[in-house]
Amino acid sequence: MLAVQLLVNGFVTGCALGVVAISFSLIYATTKIFHVAHAGIYTLAGYLAWTFVSHGVPDIAALLLAIALGALGGAAIQQFLYAPLERRKATHLVVLIASLGLLAVMQNIIAAVYSANILQFPVPWGSRMVAAGSIRLTWTQLLTAVLSLAAYAGTMWFAHRTILGKRIRAVASNPFLAEITRLQPQAVYIYVLAIASAIVCLPGVLVPLDLGLQPYGGITPLLTATIAMIAGGVGSISGAFALSVLIAELQNLSLLVIPGEWSIGITFFIFVIFMLFRPTGLFTKAR
Amino acid sequence: MNAPYLQASGIEVSFGGLRALQDCGFTVDQGRITCLVGPNGAGKTTIFNVITGFLRPDSGSVSFRGKSLDGLKPQAIVDAGIARTFQNLRLFVDLTALDNVVVALPSQAGEEPVGAIFRPLHVAATQKRKRQEAMEILAHVGLEARAKDFVRNLSYGEQKLLTVARVLATGAELLLLDEPASGLSAGALDAVMALLRRLQADGKTLLVVEHNTRVVQQIADDVLFLHQGHLMAQGAPAEIISDPALAEIYFGGAI
Amino acid sequence: MDFLFSYIALAEIYVLLSLSTNLLVGIAGIFSVSQAAVFGVGAYIVAWFLMNNVLGFVPAFLIAAAGCVVLNILLTLPALRVSGDYFVVTSFGIQLLATAVFTNWTTGTGGANGLPGIPPPDLFGKALESTGQIVTLCSAAMVLSCVAFWLVMRAPFGRMLRAIREDELAVAAAGKNVLRAKVSAAALAGAFAGIAGGLYATFLSFVDPTSFDLDASILMLTMVVVGGARTLTGSIIGPFLLLALPQILTLIEIPTTIAAAARQLLYGVLLIAFMLFRPQGLAGEKL
Repeated sequence: MLAVQLLVNGFVTGCALGVVAISFSLIYATTKIFHVAHAGIYTLAGYLAWTFVSHGVPDIAALLLAIALGALGGAAIQQFLYAPLERRKATHLVVLIASLGLLAVMQNIIAAVYSANILQFPVPWGSRMVAAGSIRLTWTQLLTAVLSLAAYAGTMWFAHRTILGKRIRAVASNPFLAEITRLQPQAVYIYVLAIASAIVCLPGVLVPLDLGLQPYGGITPLLTATIAMIAGGVGSISGAFALSVLIAELQNLSLLVIPGEWSIGITFFIFVIFMLFRPTGLFTKAR
Repeated sequence: MNAPYLQASGIEVSFGGLRALQDCGFTVDQGRITCLVGPNGAGKTTIFNVITGFLRPDSGSVSFRGKSLDGLKPQAIVDAGIARTFQNLRLFVDLTALDNVVVALPSQAGEEPVGAIFRPLHVAATQKRKRQEAMEILAHVGLEARAKDFVRNLSYGEQKLLTVARVLATGAELLLLDEPASGLSAGALDAVMALLRRLQADGKTLLVVEHNTRVVQQIADDVLFLHQGHLMAQGAPAEIISDPALAEIYFGGAI
Repeated sequence: MDFLFSYIALAEIYVLLSLSTNLLVGIAGIFSVSQAAVFGVGAYIVAWFLMNNVLGFVPAFLIAAAGCVVLNILLTLPALRVSGDYFVVTSFGIQLLATAVFTNWTTGTGGANGLPGIPPPDLFGKALESTGQIVTLCSAAMVLSCVAFWLVMRAPFGRMLRAIREDELAVAAAGKNVLRAKVSAAALAGAFAGIAGGLYATFLSFVDPTSFDLDASILMLTMVVVGGARTLTGSIIGPFLLLALPQILTLIEIPTTIAAAARQLLYGVLLIAFMLFRPQGLAGEKL
């Protein structure tokens, strides 16, 4: 059953995309910055993990190291790029352009060091298949789905049950009030960038296990993820995740009727429809 | 029976759980200076936003000269003859005082690229006329000496006068002024009050949000007292100001 | 000598693109990474008309310009009805979608191999074949465009756009149609991009998707950022400077495998540096 296989594949891809979406959503909802360079962290994570694994580091350690470095990278970006821009009262446009510049820098450093060709991950266990009826999944796919769902659950728990999570949500809903009630938004932003960057390193490492690494491959998933975030309602973690799965499913199912290279067209088309009819998304938080 | 000049009825506006305007309704008569007073948070700026199309009310309607304003965009409402100033001025800081006024003058040649590129001489000639018009408006508010100065170099009082010049430029007959006298020194205050009376003499109708009771007493023909999003009282300035119950609400105690 | 002519012609074409980007990003404040897509559409339209001997240069040129005007209007109109950040996503999406079309629609655009052998431009029946003649054509186009830009910025339209950049609400409160002004700016930007595309196609006599991808859009942004936003001078300095950079880079003996990445890396660094330390560029106004 090709359709069912596509649905299953779509679910896995959607889960990974969902993690990208919720991590981006965390940043956007809190700092209001459209952090395009997030795609750079996503890409970097994969390459870092590959480097560690190529030097004999055990797989799990490589993943954790990549995540840790990703968190540091995110914090550094906030501290050394976004915070100074905020201090200089940079306009939204200026911050966007700076973020875009950073993305270009990150992608091209990777391309210069690792070449622009696709790099494969040396993980032999990854391509072993698991079968359920006529549906087949690689171990990588299974792992991706499980860990992504775990990340989603973890983020929900963090946002709603921890003090830092609540502080973040407070700042997100009213930065002005947060400033004058001494919630220290700037400090919160560093946490947000660090945590969100750490989260996005998960799909950043897992997705290339099957698809391979590419320096410029981060922008498309990021774009799809932001569409999911907007369609699901900015500020809604569940909305972002659910819409990511939905978009991935639609992209996969569309393979039944159109060639693969046009699947981004589908995503974009969906987005335009949403923009025209429901710009506030499906699950916008009531204020 | 003439339709009321400006009429708001049954306006409801809620922001989340906060009811900013509750069954708010009032009329404004032509040619009068009506002051809108009330404690902070009473909904005065909100009702301005509703009348001028910046905010869609949850329910209720506004009509001007018998025609409904419901659902109109801000630009259309200016075309209909109503213009407003902002409490926080919102002047174009990087433009000169003159340019701030010229921008607000209605339909000029060269406001779209095709005309600008293919009819430059016509545009230049029109611009000369418009700048003259703008100078006259600046003179009317007393700012002609500061025409070529950038807004950031004007004093606060001068900036306030400029906001009035800007609404005058639109040609609107009903002017909604949001705290035109607040934060001004005594001299600037007198200048503003004199200007408002001149505008009335010119045939303009003014709806003015004002906190300063001296200003209200001196220039208002009618006073509308707004409280908790609802019209609580209306009448002549002397009545409203001397009413102890209203003073209680406004000041939290007798004057 | 031919080499110098090439540099000048290319720089002049990019001046048109800078004017276009400046109108959209610098003046109307719309973040755009899809300028290259519109540039590409203009180029492919002229290429198609000339190669299939359907129309002469001038009519093909005018159709391309008109087509790009319409394209820009269609692209910005729905997105302008919603918040600026949603347009960021739209802009990325348009650019990626365009690259997908340019690369995969083999019948129309020649696909990844592009369209070689585009005939030189002909004016009043006479073909302009020497580089010198084409440079003259490009120079004329550049001068005319600069004059048009200057006229537009001096006119009430330019003043209104400047006011809109400062405070849209106040402009609306003054009775002006903000949406129409922004869309007009986008339309004009489209015209400039389309004209640039036509010149590019006939100048190079070959077009392929790599000239019109996201990296190209980033280059255009960099030209505006470095040259300076919103001014005519900035729009001229930016391209001439940025196009001279690759030549300077060759002096540093970077291996050809990473030359492209090195260039893009440099653009990214320039974007970040200027946004942090000199947002007004060399000869512009603060973004």
